[in-house]
Amino acid sequence: MRFRFCGNLDCPDWVLAEISTLAKISSVKLKLICGQVLKDLQGEGIDYEKILKLTSDARFESGDVKATIAVLSFILSSAAKHSVDSDSLSSELQQLGLPKEHATGLCRSYEEKQSPLQDSLRTHSLRLNHLDSVSWRVDQTLSSSELQQVNEPLVHLKFTVRDGDRGVMEPFAMSMSAEKFRVLLAELRQAHAMMKTLS
Amino acid sequence: MLLVLSEEHKEHLGFLTQVDSAVVGEFGRIAVEFLRKGTNPKIYEGAARKLNVSSDVIQHGVEGLTYLLTEGSKLMISEIDFQDSVLVLGFSEELNKLLLQLYLDNRKEIRNILGELAPKLPSYHSLEWRLDVQLASRSLRQQIKPAVTIKLHLDQNGDQTTKILQTDPATLLHLIQQLEQALGEMKTNHCRRIVRNIK
Repeated sequence: MRFRFCGNLDCPDWVLAEISTLAKISSVKLKLICGQVLKDLQGEGIDYEKILKLTSDARFESGDVKATIAVLSFILSSAAKHSVDSDSLSSELQQLGLPKEHATGLCRSYEEKQSPLQDSLRTHSLRLNHLDSVSWRVDQTLSSSELQQVNEPLVHLKFTVRDGDRGVMEPFAMSMSAEKFRVLLAELRQAHAMMKTLS
Repeated sequence: MLLVLSEEHKEHLGFLTQVDSAVVGEFGRIAVEFLRKGTNPKIYEGAARKLNVSSDVIQHGVEGLTYLLTEGSKLMISEIDFQDSVLVLGFSEELNKLLLQLYLDNRKEIRNILGELAPKLPSYHSLEWRLDVQLASRSLRQQIKPAVTIKLHLDQNGDQTTKILQTDPATLLHLIQQLEQALGEMKTNHCRRIVRNIK
């Protein structure tokens, strides 16, 4: 069976197995747990204690609690990844065997947070490094050991690059003459114009 | 298969006959603790003072015991072989029984610890990917060149390294095909026969 929220592939076996675990909690509590999981997916941290309290009625063991969080994370992040609307998600979850109230509750939480979730997933996409800041300085060279009267402008550029992996800032400095700088600026302006036509 | 103990080893273990069985039990416990967590020379000092011998003798005794246990666990020798190997040391019946019990109790754990000492290559941890399309470059405008950027996270003994790779979709499809062929090898008769014999 192909599911849209799994990217038009089969649903993983472990998700199928844990749907029945989800059905054991009441639909109201499931909606609250969804809220916590959505906060975690957006990088705001998870309140494990609260989830333990919410699942205590259903008498879950620690393995069941972790499985619940894992399957909810998968369903919500996968649905956001493939931009599934909440009605399709609800019907697909019901096809998998999740009761109707649980599916509607889950999809309502999903619908509220779908855009912020997709935005945070977008920022976490693979980037090699980021440009953090640029600083510059223009000097006028008066004279040098080679020639007494030089009188040339010189621009110093410093790019601070944030490394994707470790988040460390690395400075990258260079200096160039006015002509070279003009060429650089012209090329960058062309690239910028091209970027503007795309967005 | 019998353990062959060197003369020096027998001499070190000879110390165990001079103390009573409670102390030998204690030494055995210290030996296993050292295998789990690493040696602690301060324990030698304390024991040396209590038993009125030099700490070297204590160290040799504990190390001799450790070596006896690791060699026995490594070769997975049976009870009878272990008893015969220890018989050559000329210990009392009680001491032999104690050493045998120590060996049998800790054999499995020592084998697990020894298993972790084997050299390991970097293993797969996770994968991030990104699909880009190159539309223009400084030299050529109006292009369409898709490329997949992959960040491979590897894990070697707790150190994480990353490798950044880039490929075009045709090469990626070829890569997937090769990997699926490799997985398919497990289903051939040759591999099935070997796996059946190992089990």
